[in-house]
Amino acid sequence: MIHIPLVVDQISEGYVILITGLIIVFSALLTLSLFFKYGLPLMLYVYKIITKRKDKKMSEIKVESDKNFTGEIAAAIGAAVHMYLDQQHDHESAILTIKQVKKPYSPWSSKIYGTQNRL
Amino acid sequence: MKKILLIFSVLSLLIFIRPALGINSNASTNNLNSSVSIEQHDEANAEDDESYVGAFEGIKQFYNYTGFANASSGNLIMILIGIIFIYLGIKFDYEPLLLIPIGAGVIIGNIPFVAGNQTGIYETGSVLNYLYFGVVKGIYPPLIFLGIGAMTDFSSLIANPKLMLLGAAAQIGVFATFLGALYLGFNLPEAGAIGIIGGADGPTAIFLSSKLANGVNILADGTTVKNLIGPIAIAAYSYMALVPVIQPPLMRLLISKEDRKIKMKPPRAVTQKEKMIFPIVALILTTFISPSALPLLGMLFFGNLLKESGRTERLADTARTKLIDIVTILLGVTVGASTQADIFITKDSMLIFGLGAISFVIATCGGLLFAKLMNLFLKGDNKINPLIGAAGVSAVPDSARVVHTEGLKSDPSNYLLMHAMAPNVSGVIGSAIAAGIILSFLG
Repeated sequence: MIHIPLVVDQISEGYVILITGLIIVFSALLTLSLFFKYGLPLMLYVYKIITKRKDKKMSEIKVESDKNFTGEIAAAIGAAVHMYLDQQHDHESAILTIKQVKKPYSPWSSKIYGTQNRL
Repeated sequence: MKKILLIFSVLSLLIFIRPALGINSNASTNNLNSSVSIEQHDEANAEDDESYVGAFEGIKQFYNYTGFANASSGNLIMILIGIIFIYLGIKFDYEPLLLIPIGAGVIIGNIPFVAGNQTGIYETGSVLNYLYFGVVKGIYPPLIFLGIGAMTDFSSLIANPKLMLLGAAAQIGVFATFLGALYLGFNLPEAGAIGIIGGADGPTAIFLSSKLANGVNILADGTTVKNLIGPIAIAAYSYMALVPVIQPPLMRLLISKEDRKIKMKPPRAVTQKEKMIFPIVALILTTFISPSALPLLGMLFFGNLLKESGRTERLADTARTKLIDIVTILLGVTVGASTQADIFITKDSMLIFGLGAISFVIATCGGLLFAKLMNLFLKGDNKINPLIGAAGVSAVPDSARVVHTEGLKSDPSNYLLMHAMAPNVSGVIGSAIAAGIILSFLG
């Protein structure tokens, strides 16, 4: 007799969870979608207004500071970096071989120029 | 001379067998007795007869430790299922990244062994048990979500926010299954964990079942909940792999031919700023509403932020490749191994499998019907193709792909993939929120 009301209670609680759960899931995704429908464009608009003023200042500053920085300096830095990176020998092949050089004829080894031979 | 050789060979045999006995001497009193008796034989190895008996007993003992002696029909059935999983993964390419680890895990978990040697996944201290810890405590699912976040492009959702509702509509499968499980006699936490199969999201299902139906929690009436992590995870993953089989008939049944041909206007281009704002805002909004889903949603949106911020490409890259691979391997094998026959083959597992199939059907129908309902309120160009409602079940990206191919079948020039991705990813968010709600009610 104790068991039956327990089961009924479970099922009724199940319905409560069913309904509230669905409502919460829907409301969560609805708020999210509403935000991206209306909230985000507004935010971006505000951001645009804010940044537009800043942009002008930034550009002015940039021109001032850029005067000394010529293309030649950039090229010099680029070349230096390139040379530096090129000189790195971190990953050398560890295999050392002595190459056998075959030279069939060389005047240094020629018999006809030997001291014993007289032409 | 012959006698000496014989004694020597028997002795050496005994020495070989003794480690197998010695390690397990504390397993049961029976073993203890026999090993002691063998040691006695060892000491008193004067007579050949006794040595013979001892050797024979040793071999018998060894045989008792092999899988052949301990195999039950359940083990063999599960090993067969594991092989079928691997076969399906290799032959038909049904989610091989999941089915092959799980299939191998099923075989690993069902090799018969003698209990007490710290071998099995449910024995504390065994290696598998330590790996399984990540499942039991719900550690792996958030890490998987991190990787999913770093993979997912939410732009189609940002471009068309109303499609988010489809992801919510498909969650009716979760709650309907929850109710069905209650009617079948599962208690509340178990039913909650079973219901989440309808979310069609493996990590979420494991996360929730590890919190609710972990075999540790104690209910109000004093009984412990059953350990249903294995059956739920297997059901969720196998039905996810079967999405291409389950969904198309339902789509054809519920959506008329004209509706299937509806062409949606292409989504607008989304700026990088919007993409960056999305994870932050979505994280704050959704977790404020459903804080219990924080581990899942937090990691999901964190991963997405790593991807979209443009500054942390290295981290995003690791999250979406190496990290998620490692976690998938561990998760797949341990979930597979958790299907140890004596725990897995029960009436409950069969019920869960049945409920899982129903939950997928309900979730798909919910999404499809809600899409039709939305179409009643939308006009002209804004009408949506109701097929994409089916993608509201989260199984990313399989259900979106199924929608796409189904759309192509009725109109070869109708490309629905991008549109279907929106309800698909919102389904992930929706099922995580649903898991959070169930957890906050029942946890």
